[in-house]
Amino acid sequence: MMMSGGIDSPVSLYYLLRQGHDMLAVHMDNRPFTDDTPLEKITDHMSLLETRFGRKVPLYVLPHGPTQIALMRQTDRHVGCVLCRRFMWRAAERIAERERATFLATGEALGQVASQTLSNMRSATASVRLPIVRPLIGLDKAEIESVAKSIGTYVISTRPGVCCQAVPDKPATRSGLVQILKEEERVDVEAILDDCVRRAVVM
Amino acid sequence: MTFHALQVCASRGAYEAIPTEPMRLDLAGVCTRMQAEGIDVVDARVMLIARLEREVTVGRDGRILIKTNDVAQAERLLAVIERFLELPPGAG
Repeated sequence: MMMSGGIDSPVSLYYLLRQGHDMLAVHMDNRPFTDDTPLEKITDHMSLLETRFGRKVPLYVLPHGPTQIALMRQTDRHVGCVLCRRFMWRAAERIAERERATFLATGEALGQVASQTLSNMRSATASVRLPIVRPLIGLDKAEIESVAKSIGTYVISTRPGVCCQAVPDKPATRSGLVQILKEEERVDVEAILDDCVRRAVVM
Repeated sequence: MTFHALQVCASRGAYEAIPTEPMRLDLAGVCTRMQAEGIDVVDARVMLIARLEREVTVGRDGRILIKTNDVAQAERLLAVIERFLELPPGAG
């Protein structure tokens, strides 16, 4: 389960835990493009949900800031959000494979932000092989917030914090995979991923 | 250089300063001047991330984000950063 510290991902995790799945969580630590608050929120989300369901959910924290810096320096900012997510997916998949997980999951809901258009989702997830589960895909923001409030995660998610500063002024909402792959050729994908996963910390 | 008064950013986790006039900063030059004074700064091409007593981000468009909830600290750090945005005397 990809955890961001926002409103959606803990709700998504809640649904999967409620269904009885054994889950592990991955957080892509976006500092210095955010601050410490996403990680603080996630540890509080996890603690709340672990208490509710009476079981431990391991949390992997992976450094994503160096990846963002490499992408900013070497690729077209217009498609930065899609490239960013491709690296997140790949890193999560590596952790999943290491832990023998059978699927990836997120709190994505269709069309909420630039990275969650169908076109961008397709470009982002073409980087991984494992199936992706999106329990919130058809819900609107009000519905997700309503669940978040009822399970107690909303108040944590909405604490003050710094938004991702790596988001370009005009992120692409439609991206072609050919264009994305061409941009991605400008960076050493394997070296970046190796470094990211090697520095993973389990909490 | 004069900025608008500092304002709390939308996510309430930092203060933001927006230039009064549209501008495009030479970030490489700003980075060099900061490093010359021993400031730890990351050049991400489209922005600089300076590590002062709190982290400060400087965008090419002159926007500055100061990661603190303390307005006095934000004002102090803005003054520090503004020094590096000016060309040094005799340059340019």
